Amino acid sequence: MISRSALSRGSQLALRRPAAAKTAQRGFAAAAASPAASYEPTTIAGVKVASRDDSGPTTRLAVVAKAGTRYEPLPGLTVGLEEFAFKNTNKRTALRITRESELLGGQLQAYHTREAVVLQASFLREDLPYFTELLAEVISETKYTTHEFHELVENCIHEKQAKLDSAAIALDAAHNVAFHSGLGSPLYPTVDTPTSSYLNENSVAAFANLAYNKANIAVVADGASQAGLEKWVEPFFKGVPATSSGNLNTAASKYFGGEQRVAKNGKNAIVIAFPGASLGVPHPETSVLVGLLGGVSNIKWSPGFSLLAKATAANPGAEAFAHNYAYSDAGLLAIQITGKGAAVGKVAVEAVKGLKAIAAGGVSKEDLTKAIAKAKFNLLSASEVSGTGLVHAGANLLAGGKPIQVAETLKALEGVTAEKLQAAAKKLLEGKASVSAVGDLHVLPYAEDLGLKV
Amino acid sequence: MSAPSLVQAVAKRGWLNKMLKPVSNWYINAAGYRQMGLRADDLISEENETVLAALQRLSPKESYDRIYRIRRATQLSLTHKLLPKNEWTTQEEDVPYLRPLIDQIEAEAAEKDALDTLAVVKN
Repeated sequence: MISRSALSRGSQLALRRPAAAKTAQRGFAAAAASPAASYEPTTIAGVKVASRDDSGPTTRLAVVAKAGTRYEPLPGLTVGLEEFAFKNTNKRTALRITRESELLGGQLQAYHTREAVVLQASFLREDLPYFTELLAEVISETKYTTHEFHELVENCIHEKQAKLDSAAIALDAAHNVAFHSGLGSPLYPTVDTPTSSYLNENSVAAFANLAYNKANIAVVADGASQAGLEKWVEPFFKGVPATSSGNLNTAASKYFGGEQRVAKNGKNAIVIAFPGASLGVPHPETSVLVGLLGGVSNIKWSPGFSLLAKATAANPGAEAFAHNYAYSDAGLLAIQITGKGAAVGKVAVEAVKGLKAIAAGGVSKEDLTKAIAKAKFNLLSASEVSGTGLVHAGANLLAGGKPIQVAETLKALEGVTAEKLQAAAKKLLEGKASVSAVGDLHVLPYAEDLGLKV
Repeated sequence: MSAPSLVQAVAKRGWLNKMLKPVSNWYINAAGYRQMGLRADDLISEENETVLAALQRLSPKESYDRIYRIRRATQLSLTHKLLPKNEWTTQEEDVPYLRPLIDQIEAEAAEKDALDTLAVVKN
């Protein structure tokens, strides 16, 4: 163990010597500005490509198609398209695709967000040609057969529908009242959503035609060399059509707000949402507000400084966190509370009280510093560790914007002051909120009881 | 499910095909299924997993028509009658609707078997 005195001596020395502090500062800035931190957009043979190379041993390659639930012409098609990924193609069967990528040690994954369908492969760096070919083949030559739809796709969809919990349904309901159609369509149709008349192999194939063309997809590579991409994307993506004849449902998003209550067995969930920051427009106040509202504490045995963590510590049985769902032309700042019984309602009341306190200027300087630090961490870890950076880069590229510039955004976060934060919170509370309650409606409060305008 | 067959080998050789065609026509006529309104694929025994899976993959219309033909033939068999001549299955109607599905399922099984017993060579 390092002795205590030695530690504190070191920190005292560092404090006394401004030169040392300056070096540390410069080192951090240099790291943030390094070219590997952001995705670089290019176009290779008509395909939009965003790549980032950290020279690591593994690569993640993804095709991001503008075909999320927001753009689907009929309910359920995005889900169908996702499930049909990596199924039989004209060149090989689904089984062969799985076994071959298994032999190479790769992982195949298909998922969707509200804006994009993502086909992702993670593999060893040297297998780039194989997986580039595979992804191109999947998007241009999948057969969409009837028997696969009935034997595999439908069953997968039913299983995933059975797993939908109150939290997911509440978030969908909040999006629905906030945006109505488009972004408001559910991320996953529930068991009660009538999709059977719209969802079949033919409608999915027609949707795939609309979704998978060069104008509508972006290839995002994390950990692949630019030279390798230039060499392999061009020959393999040749078969992908340049444009499609039909049109996707691309109406611009508009915020409405309102309240929705759904009775359901199981856990209770409340989502309180406000218009948030969209992908293209930098809005550092929202990120800091998310940091300040927080949720899950990252310190052991202590609720930490964040408002929601304090509220949940006082009401055991409930969990809460805040998140800004950023989309290409809109955003939703959502406070999600789940748990058992009446604790959920109490935390919701506390959360709104906390937000009102921020709007009244009750943020201490110390909390603001912590919130900014948390916002910085959220940004960096999202762009580096998890896959969200990958999806965001693709979605932003498709929307015509630049991928998020980490260094610039970090600088903007530094500039948030207590006054700016207060103004942002005030604006949220003055506008209409989107509130959804799912579960035991007898104990869950109405938006008006929480003190929100809907 | 598939038994060894020389059909492909014969079809490839034009002269042999021409020579055997009258024999095949005689055989089909003597088998008598067309006189009962059946198709050749209706006669495939369905008591095995492959054919059951193939039957699942038929479209609802094809499946309904198949059941109809089989029930009609059963009725004819009970009453010891044949269909009137204008209702016999013609050569154009006698298309393989089940055989391609069986082939497809067999190919899937063969591929699975091949991949399961694959020997990986590292170089």
